[in-house]
Amino acid sequence: MTLVAGVDIGSTTAKCALLEAGEVVGKSLAPVGVELVKDAERALEQALAEAGRERREVAVVTGTGYGRFKVKFGQFAVTEIGCHAKGAHYLFPATHLVLDIGGQDTKAIKVDAQGEVVDFAMNDKCAAGTGRFLDVCAAALGYDVSEIGTLSQGARRPVKVTNTCTVFAESEVTSYVARGKDPRDILAGLYAGIVSRSLSLMQRVGVEPEVTFTGGVSKNEGMVRTLEQRLGFKVNVSPLSQYVGAIGAALYGLERTEGTSA
Amino acid sequence: MAAAKPEPAFLTTARDRQREMVEQYYSDLASAGGPKRPVAYMLVGGNLTEIVRSFGFEVVFPEIVALNCAIKHVSLPNILHAESQGYGLDVCGYVKNDLGLQELGGQTPFGRIPPPDLLVCSFSGCYVYVKWWEALAEKYGCPLFMLDVPYMRDAEPQAEDIQYLVTQLNEFIALLEKITGRSFDLAELRKTLARSRKAEQGWVDYLASGKHRPSPIEAYFEAVFYMFPINVLRGTDVAADFYATVNEEVRARIAEGHYPVPEEKFRLVVEGVPPYPSYRTFWDFFRKWGAVSVAATYPKVGGLFDRGFLHDPARPLESIAEYSLGAYVNQSWPLRRQIIGEYIRDFEADAVLIHGIKSCRSFTAGQGDLRDRLIHDHGIPTLYIESDHEDPRYFAPAQIKNRMDAFFESLDRRRGSVPLPVVNA
Ligand code: SF4
Repeated sequence: MTLVAGVDIGSTTAKCALLEAGEVVGKSLAPVGVELVKDAERALEQALAEAGRERREVAVVTGTGYGRFKVKFGQFAVTEIGCHAKGAHYLFPATHLVLDIGGQDTKAIKVDAQGEVVDFAMNDKCAAGTGRFLDVCAAALGYDVSEIGTLSQGARRPVKVTNTCTVFAESEVTSYVARGKDPRDILAGLYAGIVSRSLSLMQRVGVEPEVTFTGGVSKNEGMVRTLEQRLGFKVNVSPLSQYVGAIGAALYGLERTEGTSA
Repeated sequence: MAAAKPEPAFLTTARDRQREMVEQYYSDLASAGGPKRPVAYMLVGGNLTEIVRSFGFEVVFPEIVALNCAIKHVSLPNILHAESQGYGLDVCGYVKNDLGLQELGGQTPFGRIPPPDLLVCSFSGCYVYVKWWEALAEKYGCPLFMLDVPYMRDAEPQAEDIQYLVTQLNEFIALLEKITGRSFDLAELRKTLARSRKAEQGWVDYLASGKHRPSPIEAYFEAVFYMFPINVLRGTDVAADFYATVNEEVRARIAEGHYPVPEEKFRLVVEGVPPYPSYRTFWDFFRKWGAVSVAATYPKVGGLFDRGFLHDPARPLESIAEYSLGAYVNQSWPLRRQIIGEYIRDFEADAVLIHGIKSCRSFTAGQGDLRDRLIHDHGIPTLYIESDHEDPRYFAPAQIKNRMDAFFESLDRRRGSVPLPVVNA
């Protein structure tokens, strides 16, 4: 049995997934600091600790994410676009489109039946519509981002929030709070804004079920529901949705050890 | 580490010659201006270089000055100066570089740019041209000639459009006679056009060599350097001789097996103005993947000579009119798509890369749809990325590299390859 690792160094978190015999046997997730090389090391160590395995047992390490070149101990580097495609296909083999909303970027990736990238679109440099956007707006509402997932339930009149700029959105949220708007309506407005931004990216590559939603923001129930409402069908969300990039990276490494690209 | 092998001499001749020509041009310009050697400002697209030169004018192309500033990393102070005068963030970077530079006295690392004695605006597809030249006219109070070039919706120029332009060219010639006190010399213009034609043929031959596999030329990054004479020195012997040198070098590259990328992996068609402030970095993102541009639209902004048009001394004004109509930015979107489609087919391209310019509302507008149409019509993988031609603040290397890596990675995967080792990444 070959044990392989994928390490995904994103803009806000470092994730690691360990795979063996087609199963995820260990994982880790921690915020990144300024020393990405160390963050990458730590991510792998923590995943190994969770799995009760040793470093020397790992056959291949593949890096992905913005910090993929910081995974110095790794043998390979693949972009997170390729890895999300591969990882989403592994979790949901009928995936045609991956929507990944991470800390600072959003990407829509069209995948083929083998989990290969056909086309992709990413948000611009601005963090509007990403995880960071949600963090800022949750804070403006007086919540932590982890608490807001179900809060929008029962919203009756979602407000309109600008969806093009994080800074503007934050001040808008603050002004809605000051005007005594129901936080549920504000949140529903925020989700609608993020979803409409994401949809425009998705439409650039073509929306076709099944859609697999990944990244930190996919853990937010309100976001998932809003996305499903707009799409008109259910989307796939895995409990491992934050690890999809790392899983994809591990799978690439596995391919390499097996010498195939299937 | 082994010492890098010196480049064979045949690989540096054209490049050295190009550098000399640019230096010579700017050093000649520095002393120009006034009645003896008046200066005309012109735009690249649809320009009237031959006519203006036949009246003894020196020619300044502020777009080219701007790109030279950007590539030499001195555009930002000019841009910031223009912004401090009230030009907004979304105003074309060429315009801001030029107006900022003018206000700051016209000094660049490659020489002083003299103020204009005449402004010639060839309105060929970009409406920004008009406002830009009006701003210059207001500043310098010199004559402004507006050449109104009809937009091209048909593949062939229409007789009425040519006639409309010839009428304007006659008015222009009358204005030049009045300004300079010289009479128009048709025989001289014909000679100038014959030299232009020779240079154009040489340029076309150079561009066609991108069809060779592997390509002996870099039809975007290298051609952008080599388009200088076709835009700036057209009508001179220097330009025609230069392309003879370049083509000799191309033949030597093929004979000796020296190609822009040692192992050609991906053949690209490139559309869009380059990110001049990060030119080398951007080029490296291609080279790293063994990607070479085999054809590109941008080097044709000064004329689509590769599509059969050459200046004709036998039909001087008519052919200048046809030339102006044929500026790339003056082509309608269906025509631009058709040109790109033919490049994809004729140059056997694997993919298309579009570089959009944040502050450009003419060349760039429509490129998002272009991407979709190319994918749809030709089934060709197409990547759109965006930064700026002048403003270094818009070039985000990590993001751009990430998109390009992902794009090339996916092309590579389609060929059944496995991930890149980190050492090469
Ligand atoms: S075409 Fe674009 S880059 Fe060129 S002058 Fe017009 S706005 Fe500027």
